[in-house]
Amino acid sequence: METHDDNLLLPFEDTTSSRRSFLRTVGFGIASAAMAGCSRGPVRYVVPSLAPSPEILPGRAYWIATTCGACSAGCGVLAKCRDGRPIKLEGNRAHPASLGGLCAVGQASVLSLYDSMRLDGARRGGASASFEDCDRELTRIFAELERSGGRVRLLTGSVHSPSTRAAIARFVARFADGRHVSYDPLPASATLTAYELLFGRRLLPSPQFERARTILAFDADFLGTWISPVEFGAAYTRGRELAPGAKFRHIQLESRLSLTGSRADERVLLAPWETAPALAGLCAELERLAGLPSRLAQLGATPRSERIAALAHEVWASRGASLVLCGIDELESQLLCAYANELLGNHGATLDLARPSQRRLGDERALGELAAELDAGSVDALVIAGVNPAYDLGGRLALARAKHVIVASEALDETAVAAGWVCPAPHALEAWDDGEPREGLFVLTQPTVPALRSTRSLRASLARWSGDARSDRDLVRAHWRSEIFPRSGESDFDLFFERALQAGFVELEPRARRSLAFRPDALAQLAPRAQSPAPGALALVLYAKVGLLDGRHAHNPWLQELSDPVTKIAWDNYACLAPTTAATLGIGEGDVVRVHTEQGAIELPAHLQSGQHEGVVAVALGYGRVGTGRFARVGPHWLDAQPTVASDGVVGVHAGPLVVWGSAGRSFAGAPARLDRLARNVSLACTQDYHSLELPAALASHGHEVRDAVRSTSHAEHAADPHAVARSKHPVADQDLWPDDHRGERRWGMTIDLARCTGCSACVIACQAENNVPVVGKDEVLRHREMSWIRIDRYYQGEGEELRTLHQPMLCQHCAHAPCESVCPVLATVHSAEGLNQQIYNRCVGTRYCSNTCPYKVRRFNWFDYPHEDALANQALNPDVTVRSRGVMEKCSFCVQRIQEAKARASVEGRALADGDVQLACQQSCPANAIVFGDLENPSSRVSASASDPRAYTLLEELNVQPSIRYLAHVHSGRSTKKESGHGG
Amino acid sequence: MKRRHLASFDDEHALLGAIARCRAAQLDVVEAWSPHPVHGLDAQLGIPRSRLPMLAFAGGATGLVLGTVFQYWSSAVDWPIDVGGKPFDSLPAFMPVMFELTVLCAGLTTVFALLARSRLWPGKVVRAHPGVTDDRFVLAAVPRDPTLPAHEVDRMLLAAGAERAWEETIP
Amino acid sequence: MAAELEVLAHAPTRAPNPHAPSRPSGCAVPSEEPLIGGGKTLTQVTRDVCAPLERRPTFAWWAALCAALAMLLFGVWAVGYQTATGIGTWGLNRTVGWGFDITNFVFWVGIGHAGTLISAVLLLFRQKWRTSINRSAEAMTIFAVLCAALFPVIHMGRPWLAFWVFPYPNARGSLWINWRSALLWDVFAISTYFTISLLFWYVGLIPDLATLRDRARGWRKKLFGWLSFGWDGSGRTWSRYEMACMLLASLATPLVVSVHSVVSTDFATSVVPGWHTTVLPPYFVIGAVFSGFAMVLTLMLIARRVMRFEDYITVRHIHAMCKVLVFTGSIVGLAYATELFTAWYSGNEYEMFAFENRLHGPMAWAYWIMVSCNVFVPQLLWLRRVRGSMVAIFVISLLVNVGMWFERFVIIVVSLQRDFLPSSWSSYCPTLVEFGAMVGAFGLFFTLFLLFCRFLPMISMFEVKTVLAPAHPKEHA
Repeated sequence: METHDDNLLLPFEDTTSSRRSFLRTVGFGIASAAMAGCSRGPVRYVVPSLAPSPEILPGRAYWIATTCGACSAGCGVLAKCRDGRPIKLEGNRAHPASLGGLCAVGQASVLSLYDSMRLDGARRGGASASFEDCDRELTRIFAELERSGGRVRLLTGSVHSPSTRAAIARFVARFADGRHVSYDPLPASATLTAYELLFGRRLLPSPQFERARTILAFDADFLGTWISPVEFGAAYTRGRELAPGAKFRHIQLESRLSLTGSRADERVLLAPWETAPALAGLCAELERLAGLPSRLAQLGATPRSERIAALAHEVWASRGASLVLCGIDELESQLLCAYANELLGNHGATLDLARPSQRRLGDERALGELAAELDAGSVDALVIAGVNPAYDLGGRLALARAKHVIVASEALDETAVAAGWVCPAPHALEAWDDGEPREGLFVLTQPTVPALRSTRSLRASLARWSGDARSDRDLVRAHWRSEIFPRSGESDFDLFFERALQAGFVELEPRARRSLAFRPDALAQLAPRAQSPAPGALALVLYAKVGLLDGRHAHNPWLQELSDPVTKIAWDNYACLAPTTAATLGIGEGDVVRVHTEQGAIELPAHLQSGQHEGVVAVALGYGRVGTGRFARVGPHWLDAQPTVASDGVVGVHAGPLVVWGSAGRSFAGAPARLDRLARNVSLACTQDYHSLELPAALASHGHEVRDAVRSTSHAEHAADPHAVARSKHPVADQDLWPDDHRGERRWGMTIDLARCTGCSACVIACQAENNVPVVGKDEVLRHREMSWIRIDRYYQGEGEELRTLHQPMLCQHCAHAPCESVCPVLATVHSAEGLNQQIYNRCVGTRYCSNTCPYKVRRFNWFDYPHEDALANQALNPDVTVRSRGVMEKCSFCVQRIQEAKARASVEGRALADGDVQLACQQSCPANAIVFGDLENPSSRVSASASDPRAYTLLEELNVQPSIRYLAHVHSGRSTKKESGHGG
Repeated sequence: MKRRHLASFDDEHALLGAIARCRAAQLDVVEAWSPHPVHGLDAQLGIPRSRLPMLAFAGGATGLVLGTVFQYWSSAVDWPIDVGGKPFDSLPAFMPVMFELTVLCAGLTTVFALLARSRLWPGKVVRAHPGVTDDRFVLAAVPRDPTLPAHEVDRMLLAAGAERAWEETIP
Repeated sequence: MAAELEVLAHAPTRAPNPHAPSRPSGCAVPSEEPLIGGGKTLTQVTRDVCAPLERRPTFAWWAALCAALAMLLFGVWAVGYQTATGIGTWGLNRTVGWGFDITNFVFWVGIGHAGTLISAVLLLFRQKWRTSINRSAEAMTIFAVLCAALFPVIHMGRPWLAFWVFPYPNARGSLWINWRSALLWDVFAISTYFTISLLFWYVGLIPDLATLRDRARGWRKKLFGWLSFGWDGSGRTWSRYEMACMLLASLATPLVVSVHSVVSTDFATSVVPGWHTTVLPPYFVIGAVFSGFAMVLTLMLIARRVMRFEDYITVRHIHAMCKVLVFTGSIVGLAYATELFTAWYSGNEYEMFAFENRLHGPMAWAYWIMVSCNVFVPQLLWLRRVRGSMVAIFVISLLVNVGMWFERFVIIVVSLQRDFLPSSWSSYCPTLVEFGAMVGAFGLFFTLFLLFCRFLPMISMFEVKTVLAPAHPKEHA
């Protein structure tokens, strides 16, 4: 943002009227987006503003519609800004893809904006330099290369921003030997290639989960980390919801327990080397069912053949309304997967080829070629933007061999540190940008704060080096004016663009293309064979973890401390082993093992993971980032405190070097690995000690072997008796010792639908951002002193393939007869007239008696004064919420600050508080809409309706503490297990 | 200028016996001193039963009433707060404190009444009769007949079993 | 209990005497063995009891004091550090919110009980044998309650605001306090208990302070003169004095029952399985008496040796306390059994699990230490041979103290450790700082007790004198 353009300061009449009409028509989210959209305030007027604008009042939040930049999914967000800076990101309800949800990573990205380690100003040869000097030099260099026809390579991640792509195209076109190479740290290149081979076009179909009745997912973690989890999660949940009776089946075939697998109705354990043959077997069976001649020439033996056959029949039954997904980026599997969908007639039905996704555009072959060119030292200039190859590719690219390396990155990462030039890129919240996550859906990103650092986007840089000095905003506007606006069929561009800004997106008809014809030739030479690794060896599976993904967010403490939705472990990665495998190898939890593959070896602690294939060792990517030693100082300092990480060390271990490079690209799964147990043991910071609702066999008394905290039932049973699942084991007489003289006119309450909740943990980070929950560090987590106000309890039932995973968001239940309240000697926790269980920090003396008596253990004590030294990071604090001091108790407040704000707004607008006016942070962020909040006293409120669902039950009802939260039992269509819904069989 | 005769004994029984004999011999025993409480002495000296119990009861009652009223007022009248859905006037829950305050006030009253009534206070200076805090028992007698000569009184006291008798004048 | 003790309640041997005031039944029976040995005269008692105060302190005393002070200093450091840094320096966590802190609190309150019991209850029961131990037992009570009161304060996250637990007018409303909280009942129970015990103790001291005053000269005379309130031992004062003592005793008796009952409500009135049970109040009271007597035994056994009080704290006293130990120990055993039965009989899954978890959960070792030390070990005292050896008795008394400490640990930590939601199940491991606070409390206790032995009459002289057998009964013609 270092240039100014004056047309921005011209008065802008048209929008006022448009905004008014806008406000009338749409809800608050967009309304505030609208204010923000046309205010353009934060870009130039930093509050306190000299020219007060109607929208920006000090101390009053305003909202700016923009797009999340945390990953390539491009979810729509409304940035909640206070005093000229964003403090919280919320999903944009109107956004066609994300529908108002926002994942943990997106929620956390606001903290990255205030990362003190972000680059400020350009760097030349390892020293800081001015943009001007760099530009002068680079412009000259590129001019020379243009003349000399030198080899210029542009290496980026998937770029779906139309304006940036245009800029890249223009730039690359300058050079005789210019080329744009893109790769994805977590690639889907094989899928693109498969569709290229089968349909003649390189595309990534958009799955339509809400249309699917049967889902077969082969190692595709679409609820956790695969391509666009928020969009998929929302659609998936709606799919499940459609006609409660209607049969919905989700079968996950995977080698490790993924978040998605934990939600599946059935799981089939399939080793990586079995995937392709299994898919082949599936296709063969489908061919038979379709009565087609087999196109698969030489077919090997199908692993789990009868199971696969059964699945084939099941999926065939719902052809046209089914989905076969494969998350393994390997051509053979992807071809077969696409073929299966073709046989099922899913293309065009549940797989949208007309609006393909552009979130993964990387081409592994091109990357391979670039690697070769670099090895040959034949690259003159290499511009790297948006990716961190030195880390992602485990140093496979010989970057040093390129004559000139120019990097546009946010921080001095592994790649930038070695680069000749660094032109730092802005954070998405302080930049202008656009995008097209799926064809026809155009999103806009606008600054929510004046640039905190002197940075410049790749787009602007490329233009600048080609002698175009326009600002980012102008480049985006110009591109939209010339390319996108014409397709809208509207008359006034300014109005069109402002509307787009107000909404954060526009949806247009995708370019008409000739329909794609299926060309099966490519299938002929497939020869899927299950070659299991040598005896004694395991297959290594490298996976991405919710939160850290490919490691780009490794510097975000919120995400580092987010306990993994499945393993519940924070702050480390580890080698997951099936308990049986671990037993045979004599490895225990936390024992450090050395994982050898042909690529090399890494040492990391082992974790015994239920529901994992016995022949597999799984390691998360995204760890071992340089500079994460900064977290050595996170958390309290006292004589027995262990640093989260050695100050010269890094968080976790980088598994990237173990990625296998093949002709077709990188392979993340299946590499044979050997394990050596080392003499060391590392304690993993797991937030949960006990992982089952079944009591330890030795301690369980007869008839009480299982706690029924999380209730679930099968469709069959539920249909038979809808009320059975919610029926209490110990019904409570509906009478009290004393008259209930505290009934207010309102009682805030919540329902949490366990059938919707995917355990994705978005709510956890949302709450952390909204309520200033501190980061405490690994040592404190190990001591079970994590501070999160909302946690997600995860329980296992059974083992191996039969394993069922239960997720249960747990937060203060705001009991009407709260045990915590009557025990506090100083009235520091009391009940509000609206049914809130209030915690008064400045009255609390910290006896912890309330926490002891809380049956749900949701109260959090400030064991120390948690460090808040980082003044910049403190900018992310929510000014409406107290930062708690040492020695006081805290807990979920039902976002009381939001309730008060909503009330104030209502009274200003002279109306009664309406149902849905109050949106809690957790509820807002939930992609699955599992959380409903409102007034239980109001019979017409959504929460009342949902609370009267036959599945609704209150946790620990028998204690008669009368919680304000109801859980809706999970209903799955898997086999009903004996221990179902904890009713002890 | 009052005069009285003192006699010391080495045994409580001697003291008790002597008091009886003195009365017979027309000597009024006005006071006795002993290293430990002597059972039956107050009867012999005709000391009325102490009224401390009444005071203690009064004190206790005051504590009880104060405790009850203040708890009720502070949690149901002055600032009623919904605590765990319990009624503002949770009398059963007030009882422990009511009891404790009763005992406290009763105890304090007892002790301070004792000190006040017996004129005991920190730093008060007395000259106790020699040995009376060790092993000697002393009584003070006044002859009914003021004309009775001092040596006669002493003789009578010695006859009553005193190991020593002497005369003392109190300003 | 009365019945149990009647047996011990023997009057001093003396010929039936016309002037002897009436005594409770059973006392008239002449006993073979006198309460006070060595046929002491009144003045001998005075001399013996005052001797340790008037001679120079022994090396043993100095050594003991230095040890105690060292412990105390460790504690001061620990508490200081924890107050400055945060409760996080303890091993607690989101699940186990109380550990050593409240365990020690309950332990010390329990210790206190024996003192009040001996001085008050036994006074009401006219148990003459108490006279030679009640003074030190009361002192023990006061010091123990001091140590106890320390923990609820330092266990707070913000101890400097501890005064907020008192109802005083303030600028917040006035915002009063929550009379429904058992912790608040504690505040009143403990402070009342401390006040009454202190008064009782000091009132008991006055006559003996007068004795010291009359023996001393120079500054000591001034000091004791000041402290003895001008006591002259006149008959009228004595009669009021005895009445006051009786009143205080009859006030302290319900108090001693109430205090630990109230402490038990900290647990009994909450919902935590293993806490939420009505048996706790009597259970706690008897446990307190049990542990208290064990501590008295420990101290007396040392004292009679070190201070050469064998003639005053005779074998008979020791045996009396041994019997109390066996008796209360058995009741404690009964309480444990009752608790298990109720849990089983309740059919409440959480309650049942809580006790299954105690018996053979991850912390079962603590439970079994508790049972063996509190239930089985004291039963050894049935054996005459064991009662014969002071060493054996001493060891047993120590073991009982250990056992009773673990009882509180089990109730608090093991119940919290695994409650309703398995997701929150956790464990607990104390830190050095916590041990510091614990050791410090013992340091404080012993320091105070050593100073007490040195500067105040450890045995109530005037009371012992009332139970003396006169050297040579006089004949009165």
